[in-house]
Amino acid sequence: MAKENIEKKDMSLDDANRVRVLSPGMMVFKRFIRNKLAIVGIVIIVFMFLFSFVGGLLNPYSQSQVFYTTEQILKDYAGATAIDQYQIYQADGTKLPSDIYSKTLIAASTGKYVFETRDGSLLGLGNVGEGVYRIFSLEEVNMLLKKNAAYDEAVAAGENFFTDKDGKTYIFQDNGDPFPAVYEATEMGVAAMKSFTPYAKDAKFSYDFYCGALSAIADGEKSFDADGKTYSVDGDVIMDGASEVALVSDVNFNAANAGVFISPAYKEAAMNAIEAGQSSFTFADDDGTEIEYRIENKNGQYTFRRFQETRVIDTYARPSAKHWVGTDANGMDLLARLMYGGRISLLIGFVVIFIEVFIGMIIGGIAGFFGGWVDNLLMRIVDVVYCIPTMPLYLILGSIMDYYQASATTRIYMLCVIMAVIGWVGIARIVRGQILSLREQEFMVAAEATGISTYRRIFKHLIPNVVPQLIVFASMGLGDVILAEATLSFLGLGIKYPAASWGSIINAVNDSYVMSNYVFVWLPAGVFILLTVLAFNFIGDGLRDAFDPKMKR
Amino acid sequence: MENILEVKHLKKYFPIKGGFFGGVTGSVKAVDDVSFTIKKGTTMGLVGESGCGKSTTGRTILRLIEKTEGDIIFNGQDISKLDKKQLRELRTKMQIIFQDPYSSLSPRLPIGEIIGEAVKEHGLVPASEYDQYISNIMKECGLQEYHKDRYPHEFSGGQRQRICIARALALKPEFVVCDEPVSALDVSIQAQIINLLKQLQEDRGLTYLFISHDLSVVEHISDTIGVMYLGNLVETGNTEDIFANPLHPYTKALFSAIPMPDPEIKKDRILLQGDIPSPANPPKGCKFHTRCSQCMAKCKEVAPVPKDMGNGHVVCCHLYDEN
Repeated sequence: MAKENIEKKDMSLDDANRVRVLSPGMMVFKRFIRNKLAIVGIVIIVFMFLFSFVGGLLNPYSQSQVFYTTEQILKDYAGATAIDQYQIYQADGTKLPSDIYSKTLIAASTGKYVFETRDGSLLGLGNVGEGVYRIFSLEEVNMLLKKNAAYDEAVAAGENFFTDKDGKTYIFQDNGDPFPAVYEATEMGVAAMKSFTPYAKDAKFSYDFYCGALSAIADGEKSFDADGKTYSVDGDVIMDGASEVALVSDVNFNAANAGVFISPAYKEAAMNAIEAGQSSFTFADDDGTEIEYRIENKNGQYTFRRFQETRVIDTYARPSAKHWVGTDANGMDLLARLMYGGRISLLIGFVVIFIEVFIGMIIGGIAGFFGGWVDNLLMRIVDVVYCIPTMPLYLILGSIMDYYQASATTRIYMLCVIMAVIGWVGIARIVRGQILSLREQEFMVAAEATGISTYRRIFKHLIPNVVPQLIVFASMGLGDVILAEATLSFLGLGIKYPAASWGSIINAVNDSYVMSNYVFVWLPAGVFILLTVLAFNFIGDGLRDAFDPKMKR
Repeated sequence: MENILEVKHLKKYFPIKGGFFGGVTGSVKAVDDVSFTIKKGTTMGLVGESGCGKSTTGRTILRLIEKTEGDIIFNGQDISKLDKKQLRELRTKMQIIFQDPYSSLSPRLPIGEIIGEAVKEHGLVPASEYDQYISNIMKECGLQEYHKDRYPHEFSGGQRQRICIARALALKPEFVVCDEPVSALDVSIQAQIINLLKQLQEDRGLTYLFISHDLSVVEHISDTIGVMYLGNLVETGNTEDIFANPLHPYTKALFSAIPMPDPEIKKDRILLQGDIPSPANPPKGCKFHTRCSQCMAKCKEVAPVPKDMGNGHVVCCHLYDEN
């Protein structure tokens, strides 16, 4: 421009070019930047934006990333119970009645080895000795026992059954008569208060094995034959040649977790510890590392517990180098959630205000510019919208979205739309009032007199004069929208897990324990909301003062 | 000289809405049967007290307000029958300058745009000449070229009025309604603006309808004068005739209120009694009879008709009835 080329010294003192030309916008800007509070507001908002949008990019964590930590937790490893009931090992292809356990116990303790079970079958126990009994099903026979070598031999051995020359087994019961009653017996199983623990993990034993082993133990024999093999008995251990096959004990072991194999060696170590009255013992696991097991005794039931490394969700972690603000109840990084939540909160604020201004300006503008019945109709609509009670509406809509299980993003969009649809009326009224007063200004009449089109009159003359009020109202309204969003999210109607907003972060404070013990969870979000709303209000105030034409520069 | 504007029996009634259902309960007769003609290149002054319908007359002629009745013939064309498109074309022919130079300029537009906006809108000058054209108009109206980029708030009242004049003249009008263009300005500026208007009239052959309540200004600028009272034109005539020989009692009273610069001259002031009646409920007969010192019985009953007293001096009063 030509006037810029003129040096100031060349001008006369009263040259109008000496005065710098300031457009109304520039003057507003100048007044605005002189308002300290408004600048504070701007700084806060800029910080919030950087924090939310840039910070979210720099932060290595995402908002819904769950963090885990490992902790040493005392966990049950195995349990042991002393066997106080007969363990019955059934012969192949037999079926024992259900009350066999109790009948066996009674028979063994009373010595009345022949008994009738509930289903009417006659059963008998063959006393092998040492608490080992063979179970037979019986059939009464008449048989003379005199001069029967097998019988005499059985009586001499203190047994109550024998195998006769014909290969059949007979059981006899002394019931005070000169001759005991004799029954022909068919083998059904073997009962003893013993359990077998295999040395090999998945080993299974046959009935033959159980029967042979138990008989051998009862008779104090050193070996027995089963399944065509010869096993030797070494104390409690049954050996096949040099390899250990099973451990026989009167304590039952159960692993706490399915699939865990409790080895006989462990069993032995545990038994020794219990017998020695220790409260703990160490046992080397497969890798050879010594692990300490604690023994807990509850009415004869022993539990072996050990410390185990367990992966747990890192909830309510205090602020640390890894999590600068700590983690929340779901083990998510609070700093990341604050950043992403800030995005949502700020974005919702701006989107809602944008929609509100858009609708409000159009409706208010039409009502104000055209007046008459159009104005009347539109303002009645505005009145109706004003009358809608917002909180109940939000509650209903929140539950509707819950019912349809709306996704987090759908919720955000819906929240924006709903808040805007409710909130535009204030702006419409302001715009209408402003336009009504502007319409009567002479520059509008002048525009009409010079034949300027309606479109131009609205957009060149009216709107620019409404914009200042609009900007002030919008910047004040932003704070309100952010507050409303926070309120809704706090009540669980707005943004929902896993998406974050500042309001939903504060939602964690719905129990007093969290409030008093985990201040770092809710305080930052609360402070951010406070600062943001305050900042928008400062900016709004600053803008209002700056736009006020009565304020001189 | 031909008549550029003929106003015949112009009426403008504003409805008064009232009652619960907003029905029309009456009307304000702002302009009630006004007729006059303006010759091309002349200035007609329209005087009268506040609220007598001067401005309404001016704006109704421009169709900024739709008339209730009557004809407005501009250049032989009845403008009340124009459709929107024709009206837009007419806008360039007829312009208006407002009373308040503060509210008549949009505060958010630079001066160049305020003046040139309508020129562009109507495509009056080719785009290549546009800048030069605006600069010329501004110079003509006593503004500097560099004012173009400035905003209204940076100007004084007199300068603003010059901007208003430039805006009106940029459209190359033939006829300009000056709606009290100087009443918001102080006396020295008034003189500048009046002289500017006169200068422009000479240069461009403009016709003015100069509305004012300031008789000395009107006397200075006008060729003919119309005196209005309560929506009626009570007296019209050449400026010299009217000032030398006012006929209507109202005109006489009005002129007696003009301050004289010489304190020695003894003034014979006619003081009007009472207030101006409401235009919503004007008195029967001659509207002035409630305040007239020469009121007769006839005045209260019969409305007077305009009578030509020679040399185009028309008066509307029973005093001059022949019998």
